Amino acid sequence: MAFTKKGAKWIFWVGTLSSLILFLVLTVDTHRQVKVLTHAENLSEQVVQGKRVWQKYNCNDCHTILGFGGYYAPDMTKVYKRIGKEGIRETVKKPQVVFANSWRKMPQQNLKDKEVEDLIAFFKWVNEINTNDWPPQDSDKLPPSSIRRMVAGVGVSPGGALFKEKGCFGCHKIGGTGGDAGPAMEGVGKKYDAAKLAQYIRDPASVDPKSKMPKQMDLTPDQAQQIAQFLMGLK
Amino acid sequence: MQYESQKVAYPYFALALLLLVLQVLMGLWLAINYFVTLPQSLVNVFPFSTARAMHTNLLVLWLLLGFMGGTYYLLPDETKSEIYSQKLAYLLLVIFALTGVVALVGFLFGWNQGKPLLEIPIELDIVVVVGVLLFLFNVGMTMIKAKNWTAIQATLLGGLVFLAVLYLFGIPFYQNLTIDWYYWWWVIHLWVEGAWELVTAAIFAWILMKITGVEREVVEKWLYVEIGLFLFTGIAGTGHHYYWLGAPRYWLWIGGIFSALEPLPILLMVIDTMKHVKHRKLEIKNRIVWIYAVGGAFFHLLGAGLWGFAHTLPQINYYTHGSQVTVSHGHLAFFGAYAMLNLMVFYYAMPKLRGVEEHAEGRGKFGFWTMISAMFCLGLAFGVAGVLQAYLERVLGFGYMSAQEQMRLWFAIAFVCGLGFLVGVLVTVYDLFFPKPATHGAPAR
Repeated sequence: MAFTKKGAKWIFWVGTLSSLILFLVLTVDTHRQVKVLTHAENLSEQVVQGKRVWQKYNCNDCHTILGFGGYYAPDMTKVYKRIGKEGIRETVKKPQVVFANSWRKMPQQNLKDKEVEDLIAFFKWVNEINTNDWPPQDSDKLPPSSIRRMVAGVGVSPGGALFKEKGCFGCHKIGGTGGDAGPAMEGVGKKYDAAKLAQYIRDPASVDPKSKMPKQMDLTPDQAQQIAQFLMGLK
Repeated sequence: MQYESQKVAYPYFALALLLLVLQVLMGLWLAINYFVTLPQSLVNVFPFSTARAMHTNLLVLWLLLGFMGGTYYLLPDETKSEIYSQKLAYLLLVIFALTGVVALVGFLFGWNQGKPLLEIPIELDIVVVVGVLLFLFNVGMTMIKAKNWTAIQATLLGGLVFLAVLYLFGIPFYQNLTIDWYYWWWVIHLWVEGAWELVTAAIFAWILMKITGVEREVVEKWLYVEIGLFLFTGIAGTGHHYYWLGAPRYWLWIGGIFSALEPLPILLMVIDTMKHVKHRKLEIKNRIVWIYAVGGAFFHLLGAGLWGFAHTLPQINYYTHGSQVTVSHGHLAFFGAYAMLNLMVFYYAMPKLRGVEEHAEGRGKFGFWTMISAMFCLGLAFGVAGVLQAYLERVLGFGYMSAQEQMRLWFAIAFVCGLGFLVGVLVTVYDLFFPKPATHGAPAR
């Protein structure tokens, strides 16, 4: 056989040493660059104390930070940006209140006030680490996730957003939610076509003289059209 | 069994098996935490974090005890001499067992340095380091006195020393969180994709040689290539943990390229196992050891190789990092690469140590297939939950708990898989403790 044990040994040493040398050289360079990437100059005594608090209460076995740790609770890398100083303080001090209605709980660990402030300083520092824009849900390149969700909802159905915004739910039910003064909206698309429905919305009596619904002339014809489109989809 | 001192391995294996059962029980409790609402009063005294620390430390402890026991069992046969000091071996087991008990009880009272997987406080770290040094001394002296050097011994010793040295990087308190995690991975990654691979590759090569009768020359040649590739891809492959922690951007390239190659040595191991099995010189005795050897190689490739590869590229990892996808990979990889290897060693050694040369295979097979299928389902359940999480939380921008709500069912499914796994484990552990001698001749085919 052409391939000998000597050749195999050669593969072992070349493979191992080349990878090891590359790794160690990059480790030295990483140490140099991490100072800039993590803003090491802001690593104050309070931040370091905050890290000790983070470790003392073993937070990291439920929460991830930089994506590492337990996956049981939200990532803490950008928590300072996400819920701010007040949010962190409230959550750490009164988890039993903040998560009273949550199906997953956070333990009350009775942190001292100073510990909470140190922890906040630590999170503030972590928030500034250059993580190559991770985590995606807190990325600066995107609007906050709450805005994204709203935009997504409105984008799917602008008529739906108008229906809610203009208070139509006060009298009409959809999917069991809403008032009783008017009929539920499911199936309304079978009774009228979209154009008739849009006309009905602005001036009910012009379509059905017996209708008890008040005129909605503050809606533009365009808006009425959008709501009608939305209702047509509820068949 | 030819050597008297091989029997020191038995209590190591026995303790490891008990810890395995505890680990699985703790895992089931963790799964319950994920889908059931527990009362605040219970969460205050026994939070998820404490249970997770127990689950993961039990894993590390039972695997390491298995490696140590395996080393003690293999060493006399490889060196053609008795263990340097049997008394020291027993003493160290007592020390490691006590350290484990103190650590687990300590967790309940918050005695913890707060670093995932490396939670034990510095006082216990020192005990572990001293214990490991004495273990290395015992192993090293056995080899040095015997002067029967082989590639298997060198790989084993190299792996154990590497393992011990790396542990030191996890002990200090680092002020900078980024540096902290940078060196945390020197322990965790370089253990599982470096030192542990060396230790287990050596043990695996030895068992393959024993059960197939293939020449040492051939086995050791492949061993060199495999560990060479493991270290080539594994060392620089550590970079796949450095994408998002505040390290330079070049780690995205280094980590991506090297870790994409990481399945190669595992694939080679599977091919080489199949080759040795095909060209075996001995008849098949104790089929269950064979099943674990071949099954282990394949599950290693699946859990560590394919599942790891699936989310190692930065473009994918950006969305899956720190999600249940990691949990899925972690379970399949640890089980496939290390739990299976240990169980193979236990199946090879424990019946012999009890004086049973050939054991009945029925219960062992049942245990094997139950564990394999349950773990596969567990990996899938976590995997589906992880993909949901990546999409809902990271792509659509759902809040953390809103995404978890959609994943809740899959945690319940994971719990059911865990129950199945427990059954497999209990049958296997029972079978190992009380091996049934085969009633007819060799079941060879």
